[in-house]
Order: sequence, then C-alpha cells, then structure tokens
Amino acid sequence: MEFEWSVVWQALPELFKGAQLTVMIALAGLAGGLVIGIVAGLMRAYGNALLNGIAFLYIEVIRGTPIVVQVMFIYFALPLAVDIRINPITAAITAIIVNAGAYIAEIVRGSFLSIHNGLREAGLALGLPSWKVLLYVIGPLAFRRMIPALGNQFIVSLKDTSLFIVIGVGELTRQGQEIMAANFRAVEIWSAVAVFYLIMTGTLTLVLRLTEKRMKIL
Amino acid sequence: MSLVEFKNVTKSFGAISVLKDVDLTIEEGEVVVLIGPSGSGKSTLLRCINALEAINGGDLEVDGISVRASRSEIRLIRQEAGMVFQQFNLFPQMTALENVAFGPRRVRNLTKAEALEQARALLAKVGLADRGHHYPSELSGGQQQRVAIARALAVKPKLMLFDEPTSALDPELRHEVLRVMQSLAEEGMTMIVVTHEIGFARKVGTRLIFMENGKIAVDGDPAALLDNADNPRLKEFLQHVH
Ligand SMILES: Nc1ncnc2c1ncn2[C@@H]1O[C@H](COP(=O)(O)OP(=O)(O)OP(=O)(O)O)[C@@H](O)[C@H]1O
Ligand SMILES: [Mg+2]
Repeated sequence: MEFEWSVVWQALPELFKGAQLTVMIALAGLAGGLVIGIVAGLMRAYGNALLNGIAFLYIEVIRGTPIVVQVMFIYFALPLAVDIRINPITAAITAIIVNAGAYIAEIVRGSFLSIHNGLREAGLALGLPSWKVLLYVIGPLAFRRMIPALGNQFIVSLKDTSLFIVIGVGELTRQGQEIMAANFRAVEIWSAVAVFYLIMTGTLTLVLRLTEKRMKIL
Repeated sequence: MSLVEFKNVTKSFGAISVLKDVDLTIEEGEVVVLIGPSGSGKSTLLRCINALEAINGGDLEVDGISVRASRSEIRLIRQEAGMVFQQFNLFPQMTALENVAFGPRRVRNLTKAEALEQARALLAKVGLADRGHHYPSELSGGQQQRVAIARALAVKPKLMLFDEPTSALDPELRHEVLRVMQSLAEEGMTMIVVTHEIGFARKVGTRLIFMENGKIAVDGDPAALLDNADNPRLKEFLQHVH
C-alpha cells in the first residue's frame, strides 16, 4: 500500500490543534506537579512524622495506581463523591499534577538527601535558620542533580497525556483517532502523530541538555 | 562573665555515652587546644558549643545564652561561635568571595555590595586576595580551609571553633592554615582548637586539654604539660603524635 502524503497534509491542522492541547495540559500539569512535588519531597526529607506520613501515603497511592484510573476517578468519581462539575481538560491537568507530583516528590527527596550533610552543617553553623540553608545552600545544589531525572519525568508525563483519550480530551492522540475513524488511513495518521510526539519530546530533551550544560553538577 | 561554660554536661548517642559530666569554663581571649585519642569526644564537645549536637544533661552557656534555649537564641549562639570543619565544607556553587560574603548577606542582612566588600578584606587577611573569583574546586586544600576561616570570621564571631582544621591537608599545606590561625590568636580571638599539631599547641595555645573517654583528663598550661606530663596516658598519647 502506498503512503499518501496528501492525507497527512489534510490532517495537519487538526493534529496541530491536538498537539497544542497536549502541550498545554503537559505544561500546566507539570508546573503544578513541580510545586506539589517539591512540597511533598521536602515533607518526606525533612518533615516530622506526621508530614512525612502524609507525603508518603500520597506518593504510595499515586505510584500504586495507573494514571488512567486516576483520571477516571477525578473525572467520573469525584463529581459524584463531592458534587462538583469538572470539565475534561481540568480533569486531565489535575491528573498530571497529582501523578507527576508524586514522582517528582521522590526525585526531590532523593536529590536533597544526596547533598553532603557537612554543607548543611556549615550553613547552620553560620547562624542561618534551616529554611535559609535549604533555600540558599542545599536547594541550588539539589536542583542541579534533579535535572536529568526531572527531564525524564517531564517526557513521561507529556506522553501520559495521550491516555486522556479515555475521558474525551481532544489532545493529539484523540485527534489522530478521530481523523483515522473518518478516513481509515492508519499508517499515515499514526506516523504523523508519532512524529508530533517526537518533536515535542525532542525539544524537551534539547532544552534539558542545554540547561544541564549551563549548570555544572556539583 | 565567661564566654563558654559547661556545667555537668552529658551527651550520648543512643546507648553510647560520649560526654560524661563535663565541667569547663573558657574565658575571653583563651586559646584552648583540645587533644585526645580518637573517639574520646573532642568533636562532640566542640559541636555541643554551637548546638550542632544537642546536650542530654546539665547546661552549657555561650556568652550567657544556654544551648537549651529557643531556636532563635541558638542562632545567636552560632553567630557568636564560628566553626571551621576538617573537610572545609565550602559551598561548591559559590566562588571564594561569595562563600565569605554569604554569612553577612544572609545572616547579618547586609547588602550584596557591603558583604562583598567585607569579604574582599577578609580574603586579603587570609592571604587570598587574588583568589576571590575561584570556585572551591579550583583551590588547593590549604586555600579552601583559609576561605572557610574567612567565611566563619565574616559573621563576626566572638569565638572560633576548629575541628581538626589541618587533618585533611597534605603536610606542606598545613603551615599556611596554622599561620592564619596563629595571627587570629594574636589578635585576641578566643579559640577552641581540636588538633594533633603539638607545635601549634605549644606555640599558640594558652591552655591544653587532654580528653579521654568523654571526660577532661588533664587541663593546664601547654608548655608545662608537653614537657613533663605526669598523666601516664597523656604521656603515652604524646609519644604517638610526636
Ligand atoms: N552522630 C553520631 N551518632 C552516633 N555516634 C556518634 C555520632 N557522633 C559521634 N559518635 C560517637 O561518639 C564518640 C565520640 O566521637 P567524637 O567524634 O566526638 O570523637 P573525637 O574525639 O572527635 O574522635 P576523632 O579524633 O576520631 O575525631 C565515638 O564513639 C563516636 O563513634
Ligand atoms: Mg573528631
């Protein structure tokens, strides 16, 4: 069978719209996931028994369940349980925030704890409160060590958005699916969709490489 | 008022008791050299003074503030008692100048310009005026330790604590650090120094303490003790470090 380029050209505008939504969900979700992940990771690393326990429970629940179940829960079960309307895109973003947050928390915890304790003590010995030692001494060093693992998580989460096809979010995979259902050109459409994802993940990889290069890991 | 006052201080890690009823008073201007076998509690004693370790019993006051006081008062103690570590512990993401300016900026809340100006003066004082823009990884061990001394001095402490400041250094780099410490002592800084440098103890120390098994076993004038120790274990210890 022949590869029909015209099918791809025709599908481009729709796919492009889908890709935009994918990027939007991923960016919003990862921004939120980063905040949640830093908070939960610091709770794990430095919190008292209660805070540590809360963060631990959150991380275990999220890591122990599939993201599809999580988004189904947010979209279908949560409205019934607590009586709030939630639209598919909000549900999708929330799912990424909650899901990526748990994995990022583990990355944050690991990299903060990997910083030599002598540096923490040197900061404390100057008379700094603990939070300033974290912010000015440990944080910047830990952040450098996080970059590779964070990059990996960003790519995973970006691709995870394709699972939101199950709640009908018109992201890239869903757009591909709909075009395919109308013209039955599976080879052209799924090739094009794959290339779109590769461009997005490739760009991410490039940005991370550059960041890593600019910040020496110490 | 004494600068440091241990009153029946005890400290243990789990079941191991590391400081046993330590009583010790240190006055302003003293240069106390602390020696003793490995595991005798020298580092622990030093780290209790700036509350890096919490004491379990008794009381310990630094410039009239108890290490058992609130967190904010503990921070005051730490600003009064600068510390120099065996492993330097410089902040690797900062240049020498930024390391020294860090305390004044973040603890004393000076502006960046003021803090850097002070830092330049302090680096000059430890003989590193031309190394300000180097990162710790670009400096020798002796240079790093001198930056660490400048960093501690930048917070304007009344007291300096040194935990084996030259032990991680090659012999030929030790004297440059010891010289900085000596000139600090000559300026009248109160110092407590854990070290195996017996020459420093004799030349610079005003008081020598020999610790053994969590207790102060001998406490006296360095020259007198070094020349004729009548404590047999101190005698034996000195034979090993000489
Ligand atoms: N954080 C800790 N947890 C458990 N035990 C500790 C801790 N720090 C020190 N110790 C123990 O306390 C005892 C005294 O240690 P300390 O480091 O004060 O000795 P030191 O005289 O400084 O020895 P060295 O000359 O080897 O540095 C040792 O038995 C040591 O194993
Ligand atoms: Mg020690």
